[in-house]
Amino acid sequence: MVATETKQSAWVRKDPAVALAVLVIWGFLGLFILFPLLRMLAEVFLQDGRVSAAGVFTILQDPNQLIALRNSLWLATLVGVGGTFFGFLFAFTAARSRIPTWLSVAIDGVILLPLISPPFTTAIGMIFSFGPRGLITYHLLGIQGATVYGLWSTLFSEIVTYFPIAYLALKPMLLAIDPNIEGMALSLGAGRTRVFRTITLPLCIPGLANSFLLLFSASLADFATPLILAGNSFPVLPTQAYLQITGLFDLKGGAVLSFVLLVPSLIVFFLQRYWVSRRFYVTITGKGAGQTPFDSVSTLVRWILVGLCFLTTFVIFYLYALLLFGSIVRALGANHTFTLEHYRIIFTEGKKAIQDTLIIAAFSMPLGGLYGVIVGYLTARKQFPTRLSMEIVSMINYALPGTIVGIAYLIAFNSPPIELAGTATIIIALYVFRYGATGIRTTIAMLQQIDRSIEEASESLGATSAMTFRRITLPLILPAFFSGLGVVFIRSMTAISATIFLVSINWTLITVRILENITELSLGPAAAFSVFIVAAVFVVLGIINGVLHRFRTPGLISAERMMGG
Amino acid sequence: MAAVAVHVESISKKFSHPVKGEVYAARNVSLSVQPGEFLTLLGPSGCGKTTTLRMIAGFEKPDTGRILFGDQEVTRLSANRRNIGFVFQNYALFPHLTVFENIAYGLQVRGLSSQDIQREVQAVLELVGLPGFERQFPAQMSGGEQQRVAVARAIVIKPQVLLFDEPLSNLDAKLRIQMRTEIRQLQRRLSITTIYVTHDQEEAMAVSDRICVMNSGQIVQVGSAEDLYYRPQNPFVAQFIGRVNMLKGQIQGVQGDRIEVQVLGTTLSVPNTLRQAKVGQEVSLVLRPESIQLVSPTATALRGKVLSRTFLGEKAEYLVDCQTETLQVLNIDRGPKLTFKEGNEVGLQFVEDTIAVLEEGSP
Repeated sequence: MVATETKQSAWVRKDPAVALAVLVIWGFLGLFILFPLLRMLAEVFLQDGRVSAAGVFTILQDPNQLIALRNSLWLATLVGVGGTFFGFLFAFTAARSRIPTWLSVAIDGVILLPLISPPFTTAIGMIFSFGPRGLITYHLLGIQGATVYGLWSTLFSEIVTYFPIAYLALKPMLLAIDPNIEGMALSLGAGRTRVFRTITLPLCIPGLANSFLLLFSASLADFATPLILAGNSFPVLPTQAYLQITGLFDLKGGAVLSFVLLVPSLIVFFLQRYWVSRRFYVTITGKGAGQTPFDSVSTLVRWILVGLCFLTTFVIFYLYALLLFGSIVRALGANHTFTLEHYRIIFTEGKKAIQDTLIIAAFSMPLGGLYGVIVGYLTARKQFPTRLSMEIVSMINYALPGTIVGIAYLIAFNSPPIELAGTATIIIALYVFRYGATGIRTTIAMLQQIDRSIEEASESLGATSAMTFRRITLPLILPAFFSGLGVVFIRSMTAISATIFLVSINWTLITVRILENITELSLGPAAAFSVFIVAAVFVVLGIINGVLHRFRTPGLISAERMMGG
Repeated sequence: MAAVAVHVESISKKFSHPVKGEVYAARNVSLSVQPGEFLTLLGPSGCGKTTTLRMIAGFEKPDTGRILFGDQEVTRLSANRRNIGFVFQNYALFPHLTVFENIAYGLQVRGLSSQDIQREVQAVLELVGLPGFERQFPAQMSGGEQQRVAVARAIVIKPQVLLFDEPLSNLDAKLRIQMRTEIRQLQRRLSITTIYVTHDQEEAMAVSDRICVMNSGQIVQVGSAEDLYYRPQNPFVAQFIGRVNMLKGQIQGVQGDRIEVQVLGTTLSVPNTLRQAKVGQEVSLVLRPESIQLVSPTATALRGKVLSRTFLGEKAEYLVDCQTETLQVLNIDRGPKLTFKEGNEVGLQFVEDTIAVLEEGSP
């Protein structure tokens, strides 16, 4: 496309409303995404007013920090591989082995639990089970002084937490592969194993790569799980950065550490964009005419698959049941008498955290939902200069590990000109511009499903572009708005990696209190808080789903399916 | 003098293609549509017919040229200010609105009172044969029904021009024939100026007053179905519309409005459709399969041999070897006793008035 000067100014005159919206959005993107990032880079690279990479080199020469970097990458790789394996196992079982509907609904329900609970919920369950007084290690096996901390428990906990992401990414992709393609290979004389090896798996490779990258970056960014489970023997970068700032009050050191984390994150982000865009060419081969799934797997394999899925599901179910149990007994592992004491504590001493969290969530939800729909609509349907850069910039805060974003916000808004530290505004802004991005993706995905001709039809009937947006486009992307609300709410309730740097005496969050509880080893209240979060998320998602149901349009994708990402 | 309803004046539109570079989707396209006329843009896929239609609708702007509706120039007007009705290939019904709301949409935009809207929607639903469907959603209806709603939505606003973009391509064969008849009858009854895009020549011939054949972004010939069939002006039209035998020949003599052409070792007297016919000139003859009659070999001097016969019920298709050519022949079948079999010697007669002449080397 050749953008001549006349075109540049023409779009402003033609659609002043769009021009205004673009300007306002860029203002916000500049303030809450670019500015903090640049301030952080300045902190890393400016030494007494001069540009210098000395800080980075100091870190890279420190063997302890190098170990942390290596550990981070190693852990992320293992989580990527392991999580993708389990995600594929579940996706393949769901898509190809014809399990009864009730079973697949049950499995879906349980494995989505990790997605809607704080990232360290499974970690609490791990301590309950395998800690020094763990139900399994101490009570069942009688091991004295078992240690739960280290690579393997962190890895296990992160895989359980993140593999549902892989499942959500892989399942639609497997469903999109026309079963007739596999049937065709079968009819040419290939056996089932051969079909799987030569047809199904190769078609899934872009999806598997995508899933690996998603999990890799999720693990790289995870801060809470290693903080609780990794222990001293297995330091990773996000926790090191956190300790540098909260323990040593070394803002610059924390910034430098998180910068080291930034590089692999950005590489993964762009690799993933590449794979995601490739995915559409590879798998969607014309109109999916496959209503006749053939027997992709033999009976034996089907039972093995179902068995494995069932086992994994059971482990997750066990961890959450344990959480619930731990919240209603005096001290799990020691004293199993029923009590509501932990709940009394969280609703008295913890009342402020609950209140603050809910207030912040209540403000973040509508703002984040609106932000997602507006930016998604602008970038997917309108032509204006800087459109592509807007789409990319709007994803930055979402793509970067929370630790980086949190530290960047801390540095940027701690001092004038814009002093927001200690306010609710800074946390709300972080939620809106970090998690609102999922609403952008959902909106774009929905708009891609709505044929352009529907808007043209409205135009041909005489409607202006504003009227077309209000009467046709908006109602059709409303599900994206509500799913955006849901995501922002879930994240407002469960996020910790970024916000832990931004809480203050004035405004604190439940997740931060849980972390404090765990480090003080008061696991009962931590469990009770976690149960409260899961319950609150279920209630709000239930309401949103109810509303969505009323706006359900036949023939369009249901938005709640996209909520997990 | 009858005013022209739609006048397109040498419009062009370029696209940049990743492989082919600059491509003209439409190049110097000019046409005029009379009030109440049904004009079809016909051509193979990628010929520019849809782009031309979308420029007339206002969804795309031509790089050069002008478009007029009556006396009003609309080239720079956006689609919502042109008063057109557009029927999309995929119907583009609003999925979240009921049939009533879909049809009422354009009327609401125009600010009609709700009683008027109620009345108009009822009337148009009667017209397209869907009374009682008001509260249905598009997804609950069959393809044919959705098609009718799309047409109703386009005509209820009483557009100056009604535009169709391959409206029948998503329907099965039987429904396609039924719907094209209905569209044609509706257009006649309302006498709305209509421009229709299709790649199906039979469909074009069935519905149109005039057909405009396009190829590679340009108009190659405009005329009635008979014009295009019997008097094609170039080999593309001759071959695109119907089936054809193209034979090379040489002009032997010119006599008034007929010329004598030496072909297949014989001389045929055919209507003169050339601008300038000279004796000795090389020409191509456009010979339709049904313009050749197979007769008993004793009845005529020109003979051939049947290579194959395909029985199609009321007619039979033959391939006949004649001189150096293999001719396609389509004859009414007159029962088992009178048909020719493979290997039979046959005589050939031509319906000379249906033969068209093209200059050799014409585009």
